[in-house]
Amino acid sequence: MLTLTSVTKRYGDTVALDNVSLRIAPGEFFGLLGPNGAGKTTLMSLVAGLRPADAGDIALAGQSLAASAATGRGQLGLVPQTIALYLDLTAEENLRLFGGLQGLRGDELSARVEEAFTAAQLADRRHARVKTFSGGMQRRLNLVAATLHHPKLLLCDEPTVGVDPQSRNAIFEYLQRLNREGTTVIYSTHYMEEAERLCSRIGIIDHGKILALGSLDELLTRLPFEDEIAFPATAATEPLRAPLAAQGELLATNGTLRFRPRAGYPLSAFFALTESLGLSPRLFASQRPTLENLFLHLTGRNLRE
Amino acid sequence: MRLVLLLLRKSLLGFWRAKAAVAITFLVPIVLIYLFGHVFGLYRKDTGPTGIPIAVVNASPDPAATQLIDALKAEKAFRIRTVTKLADGTTRPLTEADARAGLKNNDYRFAVILPADFLSAERFGLRVKFLSNPRNEIEAQTVNGILQKTIFSNVPQLLGQSLRQSARHLIGEENLTKFNRALANAYADYFNFDREETFRRLDSADFGFGDLKHLPSAKPPPADPNLRRLDTAPATTTTTAAAEKNTNDVFSKIVKIDNEQVAGKQVANPMAARMVGGYAIMFLLMAVSGSASTLFEEKSTGIFHRLLSSPVRPGHILWARFLFGILLGLVQTSVLFLAGHLFFGLEIFRHAVALLAVSLSAAAACSSFGMLIAAIAPSAAAANGLSTLVVISMSAIGGAWFPVSFMPEYIQSISRCTIVYWAVEGFTDVLWAGQSLFEVMPRIGMLLAITAGVMAVALWRFRKGKLFD
Repeated sequence: MLTLTSVTKRYGDTVALDNVSLRIAPGEFFGLLGPNGAGKTTLMSLVAGLRPADAGDIALAGQSLAASAATGRGQLGLVPQTIALYLDLTAEENLRLFGGLQGLRGDELSARVEEAFTAAQLADRRHARVKTFSGGMQRRLNLVAATLHHPKLLLCDEPTVGVDPQSRNAIFEYLQRLNREGTTVIYSTHYMEEAERLCSRIGIIDHGKILALGSLDELLTRLPFEDEIAFPATAATEPLRAPLAAQGELLATNGTLRFRPRAGYPLSAFFALTESLGLSPRLFASQRPTLENLFLHLTGRNLRE
Repeated sequence: MRLVLLLLRKSLLGFWRAKAAVAITFLVPIVLIYLFGHVFGLYRKDTGPTGIPIAVVNASPDPAATQLIDALKAEKAFRIRTVTKLADGTTRPLTEADARAGLKNNDYRFAVILPADFLSAERFGLRVKFLSNPRNEIEAQTVNGILQKTIFSNVPQLLGQSLRQSARHLIGEENLTKFNRALANAYADYFNFDREETFRRLDSADFGFGDLKHLPSAKPPPADPNLRRLDTAPATTTTTAAAEKNTNDVFSKIVKIDNEQVAGKQVANPMAARMVGGYAIMFLLMAVSGSASTLFEEKSTGIFHRLLSSPVRPGHILWARFLFGILLGLVQTSVLFLAGHLFFGLEIFRHAVALLAVSLSAAAACSSFGMLIAAIAPSAAAANGLSTLVVISMSAIGGAWFPVSFMPEYIQSISRCTIVYWAVEGFTDVLWAGQSLFEVMPRIGMLLAITAGVMAVALWRFRKGKLFD
C-alpha cells in the first residue's frame, strides 16, 4: 500500500527523518510509536503530500507521490493532531465542506455525512456549532471528517490527545471497524497502550530513525528478558537481592524491586528460592514486558521524557 | 506589592516581545504625527497647501491681466496652467471652454478666467470669473481664500490701470497726458524726484513711488505736517475687525468676482457625496485586510493540513480568500452607500452601475492588499499590526481624511500610488461629478492595475513564504 524508500527530511540543520525505509501492506493497522519530536508528524506530512522529501521516494499503491500527487491525495485521509475544523460552522456544515472538497456530491455526500454522524455518535448535534462541542466530541468529528471519502489509507496523527476515555474508546472502535473493512491505517502516538491495543505492526521511531519494526510480540522478543517480577523492597525480601542479581537484572524503584531474569532462567527456580525463605507467593507479581521497556532498552530514555 | 510588580514585569516583557503591538503603539502615532505635521505645515515657515493646479484663462489684452497671472504664479499654493497641449505636441493658450472641460474631467478643480473686460474703460474696477469643481470642501474653501488674498493684495496696482483706462475714456488721451505731465512735475518738484521718471510711472499707472531716488543736488523736501507718504505705514493703525470688514467690502465692490460651480451642482447632499468615498475605502481596507489574517488562524488550527491533504492546492485557498475579500468589500460598500442614501440622501441610484464598478475594483484592490499583508507577515499578530499601520498611513496620504493638495508635493506623488487615492477619486467622480461607467473607467483601470500588481507580488511571496508549511 505504502512504501518509503530511503526518505530523508531536514529542517535547516535538524534532520527530522533520516533515511527511513518502510513498507506498509494493504489492510495493515500500523503504529508509529515515538516521543514528541521523534519525526512521526513529519513522516505523516510527507506521506500526505504536505511537504516534499529532501531525498528518497514515497509510493502509494505503487505510484510515486512525487509523480502523481493528485491521484495519491484522493486515496488518503489525514486526521491532524489539532482540531482542524471550522469552529464557527456547524458539525454538518464542516462535514459537507470537507466531503465536497473530496469530490462528493448530492445523495452520496448526504449518505456519507449521515454515516459519519452515526460513527461519531454526534447525529443529535449536527446543527450545533463545533465551538460548542466538548474536546472529545471535537476529536470524534475531527476523525470522521477525514474518512468521508472512504480513503484507502488513513493517516491518524495522535488523534486522541486530550480525549476522555469514552471518546477514546469510540475512536478506537471506529478505527478498528474501518480497518476491518479494508482501510489501511497509520496511527502515530506516544501512548504505548494505544499502539499495543490497536496496531498489528509497530514502528518505533526516535530522532528521525526507525529503531525497531514488527508486531508487538516480535518487538518484545528483542528484550533480553521475557517477564518481569515485581515485589516490595522490605527486610523480608532483602535476602533475595544477592541470588537474584546473579541470575538477571534487579532494579530498585520507589520501594519496589523488579527482577528481570536472564534468558533461560526457569521461573520454577525463582519460586523455589522464595519458598525456601518462607515468603508468600502473594508478594510477587509477574508482568509482561511492554513497549515502554523496549523503548527504554533501545534508547536509554523513557517514551515520555 | 511584590506580586503586583512581578505581574507588571510580566506585562512589560509580554508587550515588548509582541513586535506587532510595539509597532502599533509607537510607529503608527509617529507616522501620523509626521503626516499631520505636513498637512498643518509644522515643518514649514510658510504653512498651507502647495501645488494645487489652477487653470488660468487670459482673454484680456490688458497688461494688468498678465500682471495678475504673474502674481498667481508667484503664489506657492498654486500650480498655474495657462496653456493646453495639442495633439501635435504644441501648446496654445487655454480658453474658457478648455477650462470648463478640464474642470469636468478633474484635470484641475479651479479655474480663473480673466475676461476680455477684465479692465474696462466703461467702469471702474476689475472683473474676474472663478470656476470651481469643489470635490473637496476643505480644499475649495482654502483655494477660494488664497485666491481672493492674491487678487486683493494686487488691487492697488491693478486699480491704477483701471483708473487710467477710465480717465482716458472720460477726458481723452491728450488731456490725460497733459494732466499726468502737470501732476508729475508738481509731484517731482515737491519731492525732489526726476520729472521724466515720475511722469513715466504716473502715465503707466504705476503709483508706487517709494523707490524713486531723490536728486543728489537737491535738498530734501520741506517737512509738512499736513502731508504724509501714502505708501508707508499709516498714521493710525485701525486693525479692528470692523475696519478689516470695511476694507473687504470696499475691495469686493472694486473687484467683481463671478463665482460659478461647474460640477456637483446637482448633488443633493454635497458634504456626504464628498466625504463618503474616503470613509468607504478606509473601512473597506480595514475589513478586508483583517480578513486576511484568518489565513494564519487556519494554519495554526491545522486546517491547511487537512485541506492540502485533499485535492485542494494552495492556489485554491488563496484565490478563494481573494474572492471572499472582494465579496466582503462589495457588500460592505453597498451597505455603507445604502446607509448614506437613507440617512443623508446620498444619490446612489442615478449611476448605480458606475458606483458598483468602482466599488468592485476598489474591493479587489483592497483584497489584494490583504493578501499581500498575509504573504509578507510572519504571524497573525504581525499581519494585524502591519495592516493597521499601512491602512492608517494610506488613508492619511491617499486623501481619505483631508485633501492631498495640503501635503508636500513628494507626498502627493506617493499618494498616487495608493489604493485610497484612486478609490476616493473614483467614488467622488461618481457621487460628486455624476460620471458614467465609461467616464470613470480610467480610475477603475488604475485600481485593477494596482490589484494585478499587488496580487502578483503576494503570490510570489506566498510561494517563497511558509504559510502552507
